[in-house]
Amino acid sequence: MTTAQQPLTITITPNGADHVRSFMQAEGVDGGVLRVAVKGGGCSGLTYVLDIAHETKDDDKIITQNGVTLAVDKKSYVFLAGTELDYSGGLNGKGFVFNNPNAKKACGCGTSFSV
Amino acid sequence: MPVDPAQLAALESGAGFADRSDRGRLLMTGADALDLLNRLTTQKLEELPPGRAASTVLTNGDARVIDHLRLAAVEGGFWLLAGAGRAQDVADWIDLYTFAEDALAEDRSAATAQLTVAGPAAADALAGAGLPAPAPDAAAGSRSAVVVASPFGAGTAYDVVLPAGDAGAAREALLRAGAVEADADAFEARRIAQGVPAYGAEFGAFNNPLEARLLGSISDDKGCYTGQEVIARLQTYRKVQRLLMSFASDAPAAPGDALLDADGAPAGVVTSACAAGGRTIGLALVASRHAVAGAALHVAGGGDASLAHPPHALATEPVEA
Repeated sequence: MTTAQQPLTITITPNGADHVRSFMQAEGVDGGVLRVAVKGGGCSGLTYVLDIAHETKDDDKIITQNGVTLAVDKKSYVFLAGTELDYSGGLNGKGFVFNNPNAKKACGCGTSFSV
Repeated sequence: MPVDPAQLAALESGAGFADRSDRGRLLMTGADALDLLNRLTTQKLEELPPGRAASTVLTNGDARVIDHLRLAAVEGGFWLLAGAGRAQDVADWIDLYTFAEDALAEDRSAATAQLTVAGPAAADALAGAGLPAPAPDAAAGSRSAVVVASPFGAGTAYDVVLPAGDAGAAREALLRAGAVEADADAFEARRIAQGVPAYGAEFGAFNNPLEARLLGSISDDKGCYTGQEVIARLQTYRKVQRLLMSFASDAPAAPGDALLDADGAPAGVVTSACAAGGRTIGLALVASRHAVAGAALHVAGGGDASLAHPPHALATEPVEA
């Protein structure tokens, strides 16, 4: 039996990328990057962080996909490798959604996770 | 080993002190230190200016206890007083959850000593020894040394943290001021009598802080922190399975002994016990339905155990309206 390998990178869906570009446009940011990170806290221990940044840092992992550049610090990358970043819109949408294969448990509101 | 009655009497009704340098001491520094602690622990710690102290619980996502911490704010940092031998585990836990923050928790246990002064005359003894005696929930000191006032049963105990090389002089000064030096057994007997829970006995990775009656260290309006969802659910639906209770018995009891109900069914387990005044006093985690002051359980293989609410819980838990 073979199992599909999770790609050890972070991906962003075309829909997610469109919304990142929209947010950058609304913020008046030209040529910015999306910083994707994790911080301690939230009910389950780790919380996702998204931020629009103007530049990357030396030790960032840089991923460009669907016309958007993601910058991920090394420690956050350990917890995010394999994650697909999507956007769930509409009245019942959740906004940006992290489909993180490392997350074993998430809190009720979905903003924090544990591995 | 029997408890020295003079040492116990000093801790109860005078001033006594014990060397508790086996406990963990960390110094946390960095601009984001308090914000990180606020996110990782149960207490609301949005502000803790120098000179203030607070108690909080470091919990995992399942609300199991990493440790119960006493925080003391000083200029440029925070002292974290942890359980015996717990400093490195606490430092490692905080480090695991430190990402982009400017925060560092450093184990200072080996470089420092800790004398704990207790009893109704403790503040006078500290003053006589030339040491500060801060008000309850306060601390006085620096990143080198600090005195922290902490709830200890119905009273206050003072943890004197100082460079290891200065401990001898502090000890001599406290003796000259009339305080009695207590050994570990006497201090343990006083801790049990006051119902002060300890890491490894009353709380740890095996339970949540509500079982250990650490409600006074938990904010119910601070929002998310690690373990908050589980703690809120336990409180809302009243699902706390066990509660820490004090007990007294005419029969011997030891940690790990089962407490049985009238039908002989398991109703609790002894977590700490010692001989005092010809009886056994102890602490036990008791099934919530049996955790009633005045109720009687039976020590497996022994005699009856009469339950009471721990003085420490009565003094620190919020009173339900």
